[in-house]
Amino acid sequence: MNRILRAVHKPRPSLELPAWLSLTTGVIVLGCLLYAPLISAPYANTQRALVCVYAVVGLGLHLLTGMTGQISLGHGFFFALGAYVSAVLAGTAGWPYLLAIPVAAAVGWGVGFVFGLPALRLSPLSLSVVTLALALITPSLIKRFDDVTHGARGIALDIAAPPAWTGLDRDQWVFYICLAVTTLTGVMCRLLSRGRTGRAMRGLRDNEAVATTMGIRPSTTKSFVFATSTALAAVAGVLYTYVTQFVAADAFHLTLAIAFLTMVVVGGLGSLPGVILGAIFVVYMPSWTAEINESASGLMYGVALVAFMFLMPYGVAGLLRAVGGPLLQRREQRAGQQE
Amino acid sequence: MTVLLQQILDGLTAGVLYAAIALSLVLVYRTSKLVNFAQGELATFGAFLTWQFHDWGLPLSVALPASVAVSFVAGALMERTLIRPLLESSNHLGLFIVCLGVLVTLLQVEAWIWGYQVKEMPNVAEGPPIALGPTMISRQNVVIIAACVLIAVALWFLFQRTRFGLAMRAASDNTPSANLLGLPVTATLTFSWGIAAVIGTLMASLVAPNQFLQPGMLLPVLLYSVAAATLGGLDSPVGAIVGGLVVGVVENLAGTYVPGIGQDFKQAVAFAIIMIVLLARPQGLFGSRTVVRV
Repeated sequence: MNRILRAVHKPRPSLELPAWLSLTTGVIVLGCLLYAPLISAPYANTQRALVCVYAVVGLGLHLLTGMTGQISLGHGFFFALGAYVSAVLAGTAGWPYLLAIPVAAAVGWGVGFVFGLPALRLSPLSLSVVTLALALITPSLIKRFDDVTHGARGIALDIAAPPAWTGLDRDQWVFYICLAVTTLTGVMCRLLSRGRTGRAMRGLRDNEAVATTMGIRPSTTKSFVFATSTALAAVAGVLYTYVTQFVAADAFHLTLAIAFLTMVVVGGLGSLPGVILGAIFVVYMPSWTAEINESASGLMYGVALVAFMFLMPYGVAGLLRAVGGPLLQRREQRAGQQE
Repeated sequence: MTVLLQQILDGLTAGVLYAAIALSLVLVYRTSKLVNFAQGELATFGAFLTWQFHDWGLPLSVALPASVAVSFVAGALMERTLIRPLLESSNHLGLFIVCLGVLVTLLQVEAWIWGYQVKEMPNVAEGPPIALGPTMISRQNVVIIAACVLIAVALWFLFQRTRFGLAMRAASDNTPSANLLGLPVTATLTFSWGIAAVIGTLMASLVAPNQFLQPGMLLPVLLYSVAAATLGGLDSPVGAIVGGLVVGVVENLAGTYVPGIGQDFKQAVAFAIIMIVLLARPQGLFGSRTVVRV
């Protein structure tokens, strides 16, 4: 038992899967994801779409917390911002609903940048305090602007109807939109986390003083990453309105911020595939535990946060790395012997 | 004029609660260098325990000490089991996540056991409100203020007049030297967490009749208390008390007199206080300045 714990507690590099393996897995997974909605019940598709919604937020948090080492609990606020941009523009004002995505991204980026300018100068401890405060006041902020947001009563929507030529139902269409956005976001994060920006981010996470002497500007990089992650949270908020067709102040309580954090912790800090695993956990776990007690799902979030920190600090992705790493190594050794 | 005085008095009464929770945040911060976000929820849990003991038929004079004793053990246990291992590996992200995990767990356990129905908690002091000049204050609030003063005096005595308090101050001031001197550093850590939980439970049980005892009762208070502790300086007990009173008064006056804020939006005042203090004077009013050598 101790040996297993030690193995999971060690930080490890991400697995370098052989090209053919990652390619086939990618094609099979994508094929399944494209085909599955056509033969499943609307409820299943809605849940899958929610996984995508959470995954988009998670990718932003992956950049911010996993790559750059900044903590934020305030992303629920930006998620709500995106949701209300969509509800007001596409719902109340009657704009084309897809237009809400770029608008929300721009608004989320701008607000995140302005918020981040002062906030990111703070120490990590202070940043966590400020963003927790932001998460706590989000519902009352929404209720304050009652004339636009309709506060606790909320806004019922009728958007994201599938075009007639597709012959799809709304749940299928919405899932495809969410899948497309998630895939695009994933590719974008992948590109960002490599190359110059990615190295700058990791440098700041591991040792800010050293990174600064190497010519990286902490404030610029942090503000950029923070704004990008809040923009992604806002985009996810728009997708959320497509899925639920309803927004109200009470959906954006502290619980939402905790769900986001749980997703990143369970999946594994600093792992991109881990984000998807975390999103699956956060979406499906409540439906498994709902039969026991209505508090059970929230309780699972709390217990998962504590338990993962002690048992698997690198999350499910860390576990996969600990198991997969030696396997891959052995395979390479065998390949070497054959030559 | 009477309205203004009454508002200030109400603000002070609310501020006493913020000050008490801020005091427990400060106690924990001084020893463990972390803001325990679960502090408010620990206190709510303690209030639920008091209610439960009372509901089982114990008089309040027994139920309150009983739940206070339980929460001392619970706070100490939390430090020993959950916080210490992460503190030793100086895993700050982990500590933050564990505190939030404990917050959520307590919130949901409360909801599971007691439900969201508001519990009727009896007042410690019954009777008509007391007139103070043109203003009125309820007897329960007088008890709450007295309890807070008592806590402050007891802590002052502990820190300034006892050997163990001296060891606590030494341990938070310079942990390695305190260790080398053979002071019981780990015991002071555990004791601080226990005391912090005791303060929370005592105050939460006293304010429960006014605050509607239900899961998450002190979540809004947590925000104000964090603001109070930030304003006073995270490592200063005096600062926590002054900060709590200031935040209580400012929040109450802003809610009444500043147009556009109103009763629901008062929380934004706390947020603004946190943000402004952290940017303009990160060490707060009474906190000690940290200088980092690179």
